[in-house]
Amino acid sequence: MRLKTPEIYSVELSGTEDVGKTDTGDGKEKYRGLKDKRLELKKNHQKEELKKEVDLEDHKLSIKELERKYGTNIVTGLSSTQAAELLARNGPNALTPPKETPEIVKFPQADGAILCWIAYGIQYFNDKSSSLDSVYLGCVLALVVILTGIFAYYQEAKSTNIMASFSKMIPQQALVIRDSEKKTVPAEQLVVGDIVEIKGGDKIPADIRLLSTQGCKVDNSSLTGNLTPSLRTHDNPLEAENPWNKMSTSPVGTATGMVINTGDRTIIGQIASLASGVGHEKTPIAIEIEHFVHIVAGVAVSIGILFFIIAVSMKYYVLDSIIFLIGIIVANVPEGLLATVTVTLSLTAKRMAKKNCLVKNLEAVETLGSTSIICSDKTGTLTQNRMTVAHLWFDNQIFVADTSEDHSNQVFDQSSGTWASLSKIITLCNRAEFRPGQESVPIMKKVVVGDASETALLKFSEVILGDVMEIRKRNRKVAEIPFNSTNKFQLSIHETDDPSDKRFLMVMKGAPERVLEKCSTIMVNGQEQPLDDSTAEAFHTAYMELGGLGERVLGFCHLYLPADKFPETYSFDVDTVNFPTSNLCFVGLLSMIDPPRSTVPDAVTKCRSAGIKVIMVTGDHPITAKAIAKSVGIISANSETVEDIAKRLNIPVEQVSKRDAKAAVVTGMELKDMSPEQLDELLTDYSEIVFARTSPQQKLIIVEGCQRQDAVVAVTGDGVNDSPALKKADIGIAMGIAGSDAAKNAADMVLLDDNFASIVTGVEEGRLIFDNLKKTIAYTLTKNIAELCPFLIYIIAGLPLPIGTITILFIDLGTDIIPSIALAYEKAESDIMNRKPRHKKKDRLVNAPLAIYSYLHIGLMQALGAFVVYFTVYAQEGFRPSALINLRVEWEKDSVNDLEDSYGQEWTQYQRKYLEWTGYTAFFVGIMIQQIADLIIRKTRRNSIFQQGLFRNKVIWVGIASQIIIALILSYGLGSVSALNFTMLRPQYWFVAVPHAILIWVYDEVRKLFIRLYPGSWWDKNMYY
Amino acid sequence: MAALQEKKSCSQRMEEFRHYCWNPDTGQMLGRTLSRWAWISLYYVAFYAVMTGLFALCIYVLMRTVDPYTPDYQDQLKSPGVTLRPDVYGDKGLDISYNVSNNRTWTDLTLTLHNFLAGYSPASQEDNINCTSHKYFFQESFRAPNHTKFSCKFTADMLQNCSGLVDPSFGFAEGKPCFIIKMNRIVRFLPSNSTAPRVDCAFLDQPHGDGRPLQVEYYPPNGTFSLHYFPYYGKKAQPHYSNPLVAAKFLNVPRNMQVVIVCKILADHVTFDNPHDPYEGKVEFKLKIQK
Repeated sequence: MRLKTPEIYSVELSGTEDVGKTDTGDGKEKYRGLKDKRLELKKNHQKEELKKEVDLEDHKLSIKELERKYGTNIVTGLSSTQAAELLARNGPNALTPPKETPEIVKFPQADGAILCWIAYGIQYFNDKSSSLDSVYLGCVLALVVILTGIFAYYQEAKSTNIMASFSKMIPQQALVIRDSEKKTVPAEQLVVGDIVEIKGGDKIPADIRLLSTQGCKVDNSSLTGNLTPSLRTHDNPLEAENPWNKMSTSPVGTATGMVINTGDRTIIGQIASLASGVGHEKTPIAIEIEHFVHIVAGVAVSIGILFFIIAVSMKYYVLDSIIFLIGIIVANVPEGLLATVTVTLSLTAKRMAKKNCLVKNLEAVETLGSTSIICSDKTGTLTQNRMTVAHLWFDNQIFVADTSEDHSNQVFDQSSGTWASLSKIITLCNRAEFRPGQESVPIMKKVVVGDASETALLKFSEVILGDVMEIRKRNRKVAEIPFNSTNKFQLSIHETDDPSDKRFLMVMKGAPERVLEKCSTIMVNGQEQPLDDSTAEAFHTAYMELGGLGERVLGFCHLYLPADKFPETYSFDVDTVNFPTSNLCFVGLLSMIDPPRSTVPDAVTKCRSAGIKVIMVTGDHPITAKAIAKSVGIISANSETVEDIAKRLNIPVEQVSKRDAKAAVVTGMELKDMSPEQLDELLTDYSEIVFARTSPQQKLIIVEGCQRQDAVVAVTGDGVNDSPALKKADIGIAMGIAGSDAAKNAADMVLLDDNFASIVTGVEEGRLIFDNLKKTIAYTLTKNIAELCPFLIYIIAGLPLPIGTITILFIDLGTDIIPSIALAYEKAESDIMNRKPRHKKKDRLVNAPLAIYSYLHIGLMQALGAFVVYFTVYAQEGFRPSALINLRVEWEKDSVNDLEDSYGQEWTQYQRKYLEWTGYTAFFVGIMIQQIADLIIRKTRRNSIFQQGLFRNKVIWVGIASQIIIALILSYGLGSVSALNFTMLRPQYWFVAVPHAILIWVYDEVRKLFIRLYPGSWWDKNMYY
Repeated sequence: MAALQEKKSCSQRMEEFRHYCWNPDTGQMLGRTLSRWAWISLYYVAFYAVMTGLFALCIYVLMRTVDPYTPDYQDQLKSPGVTLRPDVYGDKGLDISYNVSNNRTWTDLTLTLHNFLAGYSPASQEDNINCTSHKYFFQESFRAPNHTKFSCKFTADMLQNCSGLVDPSFGFAEGKPCFIIKMNRIVRFLPSNSTAPRVDCAFLDQPHGDGRPLQVEYYPPNGTFSLHYFPYYGKKAQPHYSNPLVAAKFLNVPRNMQVVIVCKILADHVTFDNPHDPYEGKVEFKLKIQK
């Protein structure tokens, strides 16, 4: 048994070879390709190492040599002490988790805090009794930075925990021979030289070199991305490139192996470390926020310096001027924004998690929205990761089988006698079985013991015929030749369930051409007919057609052994083959494919209409890849590749004009020979691209190529082989169920339900959050001017300070927080899924119109409105505006206790101070009232408020209510706490700014109206943000 | 990799900036052509003109609604502040110290008083009328010339020994200094119901051993502000109004030690217990007379 070298019976595909090539043989070439890409030396080095490590020699060594090399014995195993020693030396057999330092969005807050303390230092140096305001401010800024950092960290830790719960559910155990005894130890404690036994269904715990197998097949899909199970024995050096870490064996048979690599030194560990070596680019939102910070800082510093010069030329002391400078810079810091952005992002993350998109990195929430290219892995992402019967051919006809997830709807003609025979062969010539104890599980979800193709056939027949195991029981198996790579067929002999029929039934399945060779007749409509040239031709046509669909085709034939030659007592011997294996009756073909998920075509269409290019990158065979690409719409129905055109026009490929082709299928081999320029050309020229037979490194190159086009690239994948690309991508999306841990570690986002359609939801949410963040920032920036102007006026015109630092903080971190978060709940203004993805460098989060409109239009209007409230309060209390000008010095002097107002009344210092606080409160209320108008206008950027609906977003009203309530509490509740600088304001002052609020709203409605009326006009360009 | 390509050299950046400042291909300056700049400037000029206009309108309306004679609210002026002359401020409040034997240390103080009392000379009080009623001087109509109201005269000589006329050194030379206490003006403020408000000075605490209370001579006698100086009708109605004063001459200030003296105004509607405002209804000061 173990001397036989079973191989998959794929005809069109030979997954094993693909695997071998991509993982080993191409190593050198790939390396050259990488060098062309001028990767940094370090990366080169790393990959070189990887390549080197892959060329393991161990499979070529004999067992004796192995024993010597690893100091072990295959019968007795290592001794416990040896094992402990090795464990201490080499570390546990686990992948080092990638080091993730949470990237906190850096805001100028930190700098602001430092500036504040500097300001206090200067003040203190100047005057020992200076107020502690700037110290408080510095502390608050520092606190905000810390708290928001903790919040973001907590958010990320939470998603990491969910991730951890996936992998930690069942601690992996391994059966190992140590001290001549079989012991079960945690897989983490395996060391090099351990002899492990693997049963069907186990995950292979480390890189092992197989010593003996009992029909053991290994599913390498996690490593290669292919479903094709690779059968690994030590006979074939390439095949025996021993199984890697964490792959599920198709639970057939058992195997013994010697551990040759553990932990990070395993192949999987190396790919994982390749992934962690790939630098993580800044997320688009982080870049946008940095850009925004630059703008704010630029404005702050230029205004600061301008007023420093003004202050100096107004004969202020230089020290005072420096304090003004610092004050202006700090006043420009949007204190609440960091918190708001973090909360907004995590709200969206939460919303996405509900839709099964788990976001690991908060900033990645937006990235999906700006994605312009999705590089999708095929297996498991676009497809169900499950071989399924797709087509049948019998009676000279191709029938289509239902490949949807539940298989419920098999509509092909089942009345023909041929089908009866075919179904019998499918049922009987199959070694796969359902694992017992799953009676209540739907058929498609049952766990099967057997390889992918047999599983597909088993489930297919179970759905159509009912209880397969019962049928098999009735048709007892008397002999069997299992599949192997030399025969390329599988054969079994059964008793029939017809008691009157004493003949044995021999059933066979295998590679169609091999099966056909053995046949002399063919069954049509239940009748056996001689196999002539025309039927053979029909067979070939069908075979080619199905093969061309990228499907794995199997041929089926049978033979009733004559009862006279083979009586009931006949003893069949599979080794000598004492029964005929030719002149059989050909019954039909059956083809299988890993079918696309039913939600994928729709999702791809939606991505298309959203202007997102979907590229398939797979390790699979080009024909299969193309077929799947066509069926999910990655290659649309009416587009052709160069090869297609050549075939249609019957001309050589070279003569086809490349311009005619919209689609391209590129294999890893072709990609290898391409220069980066050629790759760029390829990526820009074709709108529909499929990359087939690619290696992990090539996936990386493709992603980099896309990024060179200024595209924001999303990569979806599930296998370990995808992890470097997932990491390199702007956003890596891993599959939650099928995904390997390495993929999930490298990804920024995990689709918990493995549903590609969730990506579309993610794109939508991401775009919405971008729009809404724009609104939030515009809202937050606006009042900055209203907070800054008072200070400028204070310096220039010498008015008593209209608003104090603490009061500003109460706006930024008090009244404005909930409203700005509420904007995150705003619905999209138009169909965001019908517009192009934003251009990374042109469509900025904060662009010039946004800043100018917020600062110079609405912000200024707000400042004027708030000043009216301020002047009203002062005038009604006795100080007319004219009296206030240049009053600053006298006003602030502690030694003046009889300052005269416009009515000749005299004020003590405290009475003035109290009035000043009333002024602060009035100014605060003025800003707050106008921020309500600002909030309402920010709901939309283009549409009228009435188009958007004033009441659709209820959270906005919660925000407005919170604003008013907080202000009321501050004024009337805390008005008596003198440290907070709030006073009880007369009720009518709350309404002074209302006309200005209405003015702001009217002005913005007019702006939007003109934008809608004259798109593309001067107005549109300058006023639309 | 993409990020690497984005890195520009300094000269490239400078070149780009120059291109931004003046783009010869499109004739753009700082991203806009000249005509575009003209348009946008025009827009902003117009926008700000309208905004300024609206703001001016708001202020104008505000001024129209504000009463020129009486402020709408006196929320902060429930009780008048009290100030002291001479007023020398130290780190924490009024802090006066001088040396009797060194007249350079107190000439500044007396000079302050002289300057302050200059406003109370008969010449500067010329426009005011003599009042003797010692009752509130209510005036509902504007009977004084130029549509104003009458103000009562308060001349320096009413302070007698502390007027500076008799003793130009205000008693500083002999260690019995005069301090002038002024109550802040508040429009239409009535300090008490019937009795005149009175100044009362005392040591804040008894710092010295013998425990003798502070002996004070008040001018005008009893240290009262006559009621006919009240109510005050505001600067516009009473342009020549001057605050009534009380001078306090401290007779037994201990030498060579700092004492804290508090002068309160005792009246029905004057409070002096506001913890936040040290000058409301009272004035505290440190005094140190050296020998």
